[in-house]
Amino acid sequence: MSFQQSMWLGARASIGFWISTFLFGLLFGLAAASAGIEQWKALFMSAAVFSASAQFAALEFWEAPLPLASIALSVALVSSRNILLGMSLTHQLGDYSFVRRMTHLALLTDPAAVMILRLQYNVDRLGYLTGYGLALFVSWICSTWTGYTFAHLLADAKIDSLDFAGPMVMTTMMILFVKGSKRRSFPWLISGIVSLIMFEVGMPAYTILPVSVAAGVVVSLRLGTSNG
Amino acid sequence: MVDQSMAIMTIIVMALVVYLTRAGGYLLGLQVRHIGTLRPVLEILPGCAFMAILAPAVRQGSLLDLVALVCVTGIMWTTDNVAVASALGLVVLLFGEEILGLIT
Repeated sequence: MSFQQSMWLGARASIGFWISTFLFGLLFGLAAASAGIEQWKALFMSAAVFSASAQFAALEFWEAPLPLASIALSVALVSSRNILLGMSLTHQLGDYSFVRRMTHLALLTDPAAVMILRLQYNVDRLGYLTGYGLALFVSWICSTWTGYTFAHLLADAKIDSLDFAGPMVMTTMMILFVKGSKRRSFPWLISGIVSLIMFEVGMPAYTILPVSVAAGVVVSLRLGTSNG
Repeated sequence: MVDQSMAIMTIIVMALVVYLTRAGGYLLGLQVRHIGTLRPVLEILPGCAFMAILAPAVRQGSLLDLVALVCVTGIMWTTDNVAVASALGLVVLLFGEEILGLIT
């Protein structure tokens, strides 16, 4: 399948997550308006950063004088899972030039990575990533604008009830993973259990992700060894 | 009042940091891709990350959050339809209290 065909396929496949992306964009627009950020800056942030978790993290610090180092650090921490998503695509992006692969990685999102790893037929993965990312990018920008513009119409109570929307969307991705995986889900289960235990015993939040992922990796390696 | 040039610089730094995490992981993966046994490990990484984030979030969720989660899981498991599952979950989160109030 050509790059263009795969791009179109990716754009069409993104419809499900287009809606959830739109919701998060709406919430970001609302939050940006209530934080006093000008609309063009909120749109510029959405266009340049294109990451819900990073942008929400930055809003927590958005007051004069802007603490650049704190914002950069919190953005890096909440974006650390992107490192894992990027690593998972190591074997997926074909023989395109290095510059082209690195450029298109700007459009990498969680659902795109999940869907690429589920693809089982002859699709150009870089094209798919691009189409998927561009579609979600359009959703993100449009919804930021909409949320900001109509911020005054929505009640705070309803916004608060959407706090759980993030985990909910992540659950949809996880189920796609589990159902599409040819491998056993045991390492993922272990990561979840370790994370829960660390959370319950009050470990610092920044340690939970790396330790839990490491536990999953160890189990995966053990399973690979025992199967091999 | 946030200084305009500082705001723009902060947004650019944020964009750079996020891009570096996306591209950095890929670059890191390229360094170890010749190790064949690592391929399955690389491919489980996103799932491990999602589970590490999800488990504490679900633990902290309210009853209504859990109802939404069950609905989403059920729809996803039976249909694979992300749009329907997300829409239903959002309806439960937004209007669940009113719906439960009508039922009881």
